[in-house]
Amino acid sequence: MELINSLAAVPDTELFTGGHGGCRGCGAALAARQAMKALGPRTIITIPASCMATIGGSGLTTAWEIPFYHSLFECAPAVASGIRAALDIQGIEDVNVVSWAGDAGTADIGFQSLTGAAERQENIIHVCYDNETYMNTGGQAGSATPYLAATPDTPAGKPTPRKDMLAIMAAHRPAYLATASVAYPLDLIQKFQRAREIEGFRYIHILAPCFKGWGIKEDQTVQLARIAVECGLWQLYEEVDGRRRVTVIPERRLPVREYLRLQGRFQTMDEATIAALQAAVDRRWQEVPS
Amino acid sequence: MRQLLNGNEAAAHAARLARVEVLASYPITPAAPAMEKITQFIAEGSLKARFIRVESDHSAMAAALGASLAGARPFLITNSQGLAYMSEVLYHTSGLRQPVVMAVVNRALAAPHSRFPEQGDAVAQEAAGWIQLFCENNQEVLDSLLQAFRLGEDEGVRLPVMVNYEGYIQSHTRETVDLPQQEEIDGFLPLMRRPALDVANPMAVNTVAGPELYMDFKYHQDAALQQAAAVLEEVSAAYARLTGRDWGGPVAGYRLEDAEVVLVAMGSLVSTARIAVDALREEGEKAGLLKIRLFRPFPAVAVRQGLPAARAIVALDKNIVYGVGGALGRELRASLYGHASVPVFSYILGLGGRDAGVADLAQIYRQVRENMVAGLTPAAYQWYGL
Amino acid sequence: MAAKDLPLVPGARPGSMAAAAAMERIREQRPAIDKEKCNLCRECLLYCPDAALAIAGGEVRLELRFCKGCGICARECPARAITMVPEYAGDRGLVGEE
Ligand SMILES: Cc1ncc(C[n+]2csc(CCOP(=O)(O)OP(=O)(O)O)c2C)c(N)n1
Ligand code: SF4
Ligand code: SF4
Ligand code: SF4
Ligand SMILES: [Mg+2]
Repeated sequence: MELINSLAAVPDTELFTGGHGGCRGCGAALAARQAMKALGPRTIITIPASCMATIGGSGLTTAWEIPFYHSLFECAPAVASGIRAALDIQGIEDVNVVSWAGDAGTADIGFQSLTGAAERQENIIHVCYDNETYMNTGGQAGSATPYLAATPDTPAGKPTPRKDMLAIMAAHRPAYLATASVAYPLDLIQKFQRAREIEGFRYIHILAPCFKGWGIKEDQTVQLARIAVECGLWQLYEEVDGRRRVTVIPERRLPVREYLRLQGRFQTMDEATIAALQAAVDRRWQEVPS
Repeated sequence: MRQLLNGNEAAAHAARLARVEVLASYPITPAAPAMEKITQFIAEGSLKARFIRVESDHSAMAAALGASLAGARPFLITNSQGLAYMSEVLYHTSGLRQPVVMAVVNRALAAPHSRFPEQGDAVAQEAAGWIQLFCENNQEVLDSLLQAFRLGEDEGVRLPVMVNYEGYIQSHTRETVDLPQQEEIDGFLPLMRRPALDVANPMAVNTVAGPELYMDFKYHQDAALQQAAAVLEEVSAAYARLTGRDWGGPVAGYRLEDAEVVLVAMGSLVSTARIAVDALREEGEKAGLLKIRLFRPFPAVAVRQGLPAARAIVALDKNIVYGVGGALGRELRASLYGHASVPVFSYILGLGGRDAGVADLAQIYRQVRENMVAGLTPAAYQWYGL
Repeated sequence: MAAKDLPLVPGARPGSMAAAAAMERIREQRPAIDKEKCNLCRECLLYCPDAALAIAGGEVRLELRFCKGCGICARECPARAITMVPEYAGDRGLVGEE
């Protein structure tokens, strides 16, 4: 396999086309568009209830150029397992089977079927596109919502920290695990390329900001996805057989304060909390080999 | 080939003979042995299928649906809590017109907790858009399951099918079952692949349907379900030609010609009622039996045609729709309304495994007969055997 | 009234959303690309959530039926070759070439 190493080498074909129903500047749609560049046309995707399940298919129209099934909220990885079994029994081998869920469809209501599929080492790719809230129902807090983020149901800020889905998924010993960000499309595309080549259960977690939920402007989606990496809150890495490799070391390091203060949802966060968060991020960065 | 099989084994043999390709099931009593028997068939090589060891019933149904959408013939088994947990996916399966076949080993729904037979679990899913067949014995479990694949996959139907038999009374009781030859079933059930999810012919499935589309999709779905009654007649006739066993279509009558008081039942109560009718006939009673084989779509026309001489109808329900009564009682009244003014006496019995034997049915019969002679209007429903 | 003729499995065929796209209905601003400044680095192509940008004939082309006017391309262009211009300017009406 040849890794796509430059923007010029990215295929032009759009497998998640324009005309979809996402909001302006939708990070979720952007994640799908980028990933499809690597996954290619021989891919079957199933997406549970979420923004992404609805924006790509309305009435008798769709933005998907590949087989797509808008599944129920709890069970995209189970559906994907069934699809894989059906392909296996028909002797169809060279198809990527992807369950692609939001943070709720991954970490909350979808977690039961996800942990099941991961434990069974199903030969599928599960993708979490993470906007850190329940956007399709109005941006309520879920387990992926960060500490003190204000949402419609946590107006004073979410009182508990974010669930560490990456640690949880790593504990399932997947064949491949990676983080990605829509601000680093080549890194994202390469990770999907590598995931494609590996058999077994693969998990990719993409930070995909949503301007509505985050209290930013529509044109800041990519900017925030980048600053999240630059301030160290979102590390880009991959793990094959449990061995971690950091894939992007940002050219500049920014304080977390900058990331937080750009967003409307962290307005209630005080300086002491920000300092504590900064200290935690700094500790984590010391572990990263340069 | 005749074998002594319990209902679960009969169901497993049906799955083997139907050459199911994907098995997705989550253990639940008393259905689990059927699943284990199929995994044994897979292990010993007599069935080439993929078993998905799902972590829940919801995922079982979801995986079966995914497999069907991708062009395979799936199978699954469940009941009670598992079936209720699947409910949401049942609606997806029928709405997406996938002919998934599932055996339901009827068991009472908690609370209070029970693991004993009753038909309330299937009745609770009556609006889910599935075809529902009920079986009176283990031979019928095998035969109906094989027919279910052909019925659901029929071009004019394309809908999922639930084949019901009761926990323990059927699942764990051995009876002689005649197993058809594999070649016979291969001819009866050719494998048709109609994948909705196909990289060679991509489609987006379950796109959001607005008010301008949703209702029309539902119209077509309901029309297809209505077709199932007629298709079942054809499928049963074809199966009878193949095996010599004719279970009839949506309903089957027993000693109905001059029957004045007709017992109506589905599932294992049918076999019990048959014996009760014979005993009552010995005593000179004009008793008859109408077996409801197809509960969904409810065969109102066949029911009316099946009850020519009836002066009183006894609905025997092993289920309770709270606040309404028994499902059969309700359906029978609705079917007859405006066509015949025969009183329907509706009985709730046998819930959660409570015995409902030949003597019980005879006693109910006598009660009804007395009421009929006295010209009493039936109660909305009554509980028998408390 | 007869029910609409619909696909048996509820769904849609590829290409249909792209064919029906008409984002001018919701767009409030659009990118204006300065060809002099653009160095064809392709960054904007992969940051557009709506697949509205492509390179053809040696320049960045904008598919206005897809573009929602989010402004990401303008913010992310390293050469600062893109500026967002309003589609409507009060009662002066539509601004732009089309
Ligand atoms: C069983 C069920 N419960 C609740 C819902 C309502 N619902 C639809 S999408 C959604 C939130 C989705 O959040 P996430 O997975 O993070 O995706 P996002 O919309 O944020 O992209 C909820 C609560 C549903 N569709 N099904
Ligand atoms: S609410 Fe957010 S995630 Fe959902 S479509 Fe809009 S921008 Fe995308
Ligand atoms: S990002 Fe700017 S410089 Fe690069 S191709 Fe786009 S318009 Fe041209
Ligand atoms: S404004 Fe937004 S939608 Fe339009 S081309 Fe730029 S990035 Fe794409
Ligand atoms: Mg979300």
